[in-house]
Formats: sequence, structure tokens, C-alpha cells
Amino acid sequence: MSVLSLKDVEHAYLGRSVLKGINLNVNAQEIVALVGPSGCGKSTLSHVAAGLLVPRGGALSRSYRRHAMIFQDPSLLPWATAAQNIGFGLRLARLPRGQRAARIAEAAAQAELQPADLTKYPVELSGGMRQRVAIARALAVRPDFIYFDEPFTALDVALRRRMQDLVIATCAGAGLAGLFITHDLNEAARIAHRVAVLDTYGAGILGDRPLPGRPGGRSDAQVQDWVTAALERDPLFRHIHDVDERQIA
Amino acid sequence: MTTRLKLPMTARLAERAGRVLEFLWSGWAGLAALFLLAAVWQAGHEAYGPFILTSPQQTVAAVLGLAGDPSAWAVAGVTLQRAITGFVMVSGAGVTLGLVAGYSPATMRLMQPLITVLMGVPPIAWIVLAMIWFGGSDATVRLVILVSALPVVFLGAAQGIATRDRGLDRMAQAFGAGPLRRFLTVGLRQTTTTLFPALVLALGTAFKVAVMAELLANAGGIGGALAGARINLDIATALAWVLIAVALLIAVEYLLVHPVKGEIERWRRAAQPWGVKR
Repeated sequence: MSVLSLKDVEHAYLGRSVLKGINLNVNAQEIVALVGPSGCGKSTLSHVAAGLLVPRGGALSRSYRRHAMIFQDPSLLPWATAAQNIGFGLRLARLPRGQRAARIAEAAAQAELQPADLTKYPVELSGGMRQRVAIARALAVRPDFIYFDEPFTALDVALRRRMQDLVIATCAGAGLAGLFITHDLNEAARIAHRVAVLDTYGAGILGDRPLPGRPGGRSDAQVQDWVTAALERDPLFRHIHDVDERQIA
Repeated sequence: MTTRLKLPMTARLAERAGRVLEFLWSGWAGLAALFLLAAVWQAGHEAYGPFILTSPQQTVAAVLGLAGDPSAWAVAGVTLQRAITGFVMVSGAGVTLGLVAGYSPATMRLMQPLITVLMGVPPIAWIVLAMIWFGGSDATVRLVILVSALPVVFLGAAQGIATRDRGLDRMAQAFGAGPLRRFLTVGLRQTTTTLFPALVLALGTAFKVAVMAELLANAGGIGGALAGARINLDIATALAWVLIAVALLIAVEYLLVHPVKGEIERWRRAAQPWGVKR
């Protein structure tokens, strides 16, 4: 059953077409990675799907219960402690104060945050810890769908791997659905159930490929082999590393 | 599992007490600056004689003399009341207009030239107009404070909104916040960076303009007392009233504005390395 479906969706910024003829379905309990070259409109697509931007045309249907979003920039409130940041979504959802503490503690534990970190302000946390807080904030609202907008691009390789493991454990392993925007095919192959490719100029989804096995169940060698094969032999992925600096994201 | 999301009450109280003590300790630097000023003042007194500039000691004696006089307290009270009500009025109007202009570029474009006009008109011109309209009353002083301090409060609030982190807005929207809740939870808080310095400036303006308006409009208060001292060529009393006006401003700023600022901007302290805090 599809929980997110986009039919012929298009979007334009100031008259310049960014997305056109986008058809994409995400099924329940499925994480779809969306890859494509820089500036092709992947982030815009996720913002349209999440309702942050109103599409100029097409039909969008969301049948999940509740979504959350994790951005590339952790987007934490600098004046609030980690605990208050994790509880931000709960506050917006008007969850009674008494119930918030337990949910915050639960989400923090899922994101492997130490209790001592929760009283700190974002300025006192490292980049990786801030992204953990952002992940905990998303998990705290108990979503059944998560949008990931290139969440780990700014992190170094080792940290990125740990964050991917965290997402695999808390989202893919916990039966959540999600749309994972990334330009890193390796990351897509680790985390997702299926990889979709967006056209270089945002003119439709070029196609998708299911990944063998389950996220978290694939060995590094399997992931690497799949990525090598995809890049060398699959025409679908031919252009995903093209870069045109003149394109505006 | 029980997880502590907040520091325990005793730790929080200790942290707050520590902050207050640290702040009081930083007063030594302020006192040093004041004594330096007094030294320069004393030098001026010795160079020009008591008729031009009375000594700091005589001035302090005059202040103490006034402090023993209940009618002087009433005079200072009138100015304090006018300055604070004027400050509250200008804060309300300036913040409201500034927030609207921060969110609406069209309003900003309409307001900018008006602000320039307001800044261009000398406060003294407003005093003349206000005297004609309201006579020597509280309203005259409040109006002059309002128009003199409005530009700075307006720009402080508008800049705070206009330069806010849009990423936070987007995040709040992704978690289901509508425009009003985004403003209340994310937007309003970000204005404090530019709004607090503007409010401190506006408070200073309020006191200065209140005394000036009182003097020129013959409206009593500290300004009226200064006018009296001028007629009597009583330099000591004139300087004593100046000292009192400054002391009132300092009292209001440190009892009202700084505690609020300290509470709201607690996170900034966390960002400072420990050596910079004092």
C-alpha cells in the first residue's frame, strides 16, 4: 500500500521550472532513496512532498499518520536545551507537558544520547551530536514517515556511517516509511529498500531499482558490489555524478 | 528508565546565584571607570574653579542634601514616571510596527522613508509642537520620547525578524506549525539579538529626552529643577540633578532590562569559553 504518492507533480521558482512530471510512490514500511546530480531538485521534491512548498501542478496524496523531517542543517533552536529541542515537535503537537518528558527520554535513548547531553545547549554539542538531537526530535513525535533531506552530507565519513547505522536501526528496522534524499549512492544502498533516480533537470523520475535484502542486512561488500555494478553497467545511474554549478538547487 | 531532562532545582538556583555574583563582581570594572571620570572631573574643577565646575565631592554632597528632601524625591519620581511610561509606549509601538515590517517587505518599504523623516526632525521641534498641543503636561514628554526613540526600536525589531534563520521556520513548518505558532515559537525569540540593544538605547533616549522636554516645556520634574538651578546659577544643584537622572537610568536599566536579557539569553553564556564570561 502506498503511503506517499506523487502524480505528475511540477514546481517552479519564479517562473523557472524546477520539477516536472514527477511520479513517485512510497509504500508503507519502505524507505526510498532519491538520488540525482547536485541541483536537480531533489530537496525541492522532498519539500513539496512534505508540504513545505505548494506544488504548481499535479496530485499529491499522503496517507501516513504523521511525518517528521531531518534536514542537512540540524536546525536546532539555539536558545533551547537538547531536551527542549527534542520536545519541540511534541510541544507543537500540543502533547501535555507531563507526557513529554517520557517521550523525550525515549527518543533520546533511541538516538543514543546520554542523559548528561540533554541539559546542554546546541552550541555546546558537536556536529554529530546536534544531528543526533535532530534525529531524536524527529523520532519523538512517533512518526510513521520520515523525510530525510540530505541529513548527513555535512558530516565526516566515520560519523556519517554511524548516523546511517542509527537510521537503519531506528527507521528501516522499526518499520517506518521514508523518503531519503542523498547524492551518495553508497548511502542510498545502505539505508534504503529501493533507489529512485531524479532527472538531471528535474524532468521526472528516470526509474528505480530495488535493493537486494533488507537495510542493515547487507554486508559492506554487498553494498559496494551493488554500487559498482550500478555505476558501471546500469544506464539509469549514468548521470548521477554530473555536476553543473550553474544549476541552482 | 528515568532520565533527567532538567538540572535539579538546587543546581539551577546555584547557577543563577553564581551568575548574579559574577555580574556584581564585574561591577568593579564599572566603578573603576566611574572613579576615572570623577578624577577627570576633579582636574577640571581644579583648573576652572568652583563657579564653572563644582567638585565631585560638593556635587555628591548636593545629591545627599536632595536625598533628604521629600519634595526632591517627588520631582525625580515625576521624571521617572514619564520616562518609563514613554519607554513602555515606544517599546509597544516600535516592536509592533517593527515585527509587521520584518515580515512584510511592502510595509518595510513604506515605513523606511517615514523612519528617515522621524530621525531627521530634531526632538526640539517635536517639543515645540507638543507644547502647543498638550501644554506642559506628561503627554508632551511622552510624545517627544515616542517620536525620538521610535526609529531605533522599530529598526531593532524589524531587523531581528528580517535576519531570522529561515531554516528554523522551515523546520517548525515541517513539524506542523502554522504561521502564528512559527512566529511565537521561532520568530519572536530571534528578534532579541537586535531588539535588546535597541531597547537599551531607547531607554537612555527616554531619560534624556524626558529631562530635556521638561526643561524646555517648563513641565516640572528633573528638567524643571535644572531650569531652576540655571536661574540661580547653582552649578552644584544642576550637576546633582544630572547625577540623579543618570542614577535613575542606571537603576532602571540594571533592574529591568538586564535581568530580562540575562534570562532570555542564557544560552549565549553557554557558548562563551569560561575565561570570557567575566
